[in-house]
Amino acid sequence: MEQQTEIALETIGSITLFDIKGDVTALSESFLNDAYQKALDQGVSKILLKFKKDAYINSGGIALLIQILAESKKNNQQTKITGLSDHFKKIFNMVGITKFADIHDSVEAAVEAMSGPS
Amino acid sequence: MSANEQMVRRLDSRTIEVSLPSRLGYERIAMDCSASFAKMVGFAPERIEDLKTAVAEACINAIEHGNKGHPDLRVLVTMNFNDDRFSVSVKDGGKGILRLPKDKTVKQTIEKLKPPKGLGTYLIKQLVDEVEFNDMTKDGHAVKMVIKLTRKPYSPAKK
Repeated sequence: MEQQTEIALETIGSITLFDIKGDVTALSESFLNDAYQKALDQGVSKILLKFKKDAYINSGGIALLIQILAESKKNNQQTKITGLSDHFKKIFNMVGITKFADIHDSVEAAVEAMSGPS
Repeated sequence: MSANEQMVRRLDSRTIEVSLPSRLGYERIAMDCSASFAKMVGFAPERIEDLKTAVAEACINAIEHGNKGHPDLRVLVTMNFNDDRFSVSVKDGGKGILRLPKDKTVKQTIEKLKPPKGLGTYLIKQLVDEVEFNDMTKDGHAVKMVIKLTRKPYSPAKK
């Protein structure tokens, strides 16, 4: 029933892109934490979370993203978000995630906003 | 699939019932069913997305907290469309939500970057036009929601 989360890490200059495929729910915890730990081990300072437009993200997934944002803030990492549908842009704004990670319409726009020293 | 496992039933021309096992992931059946029904009766895509999220969150609460994932208990989702009102009842075998977190508390917890309790009920309240938690029945508890065909768009400044 659950479409398992898959996260591929890609490097774009000084940015590590989390290419998140599948559902983002409470069951995605190990996938998100593993990806974040890998990025942390690599010493990255800029993280771009890229979602699929048709992703199913629920409150359990949002709670995990809040944890990732808390960790990245603690580790002085800059985080931004892209790829969301209009509905989930609204939801992320509604819950206040956008105070900690801006949402951009495309990877290119996010990369441009993140270029320069962190 | 046996008759006992039948998930979707048409109760009348305006009412559909979905019976879900108490297992996370099955909320997607209710989501997709509500989306198809709402599309059929003329809801705009944006409102359908609101409905899907509200139905999913109510089902997740029913599965996790109401039925506590008990395999023998079902979550019953009843959907009805009348005039411009799409009503959804999500029923479980639990005792209801004893302490409903305040919206302000949920937002303040997120502002401290801590995972909040009650995020699902917070989202439901933001997305639907009417909601009633803790509607107690003789064999459980139901959340009742109404989403209207048209609604003013969400405005962050008002929240």
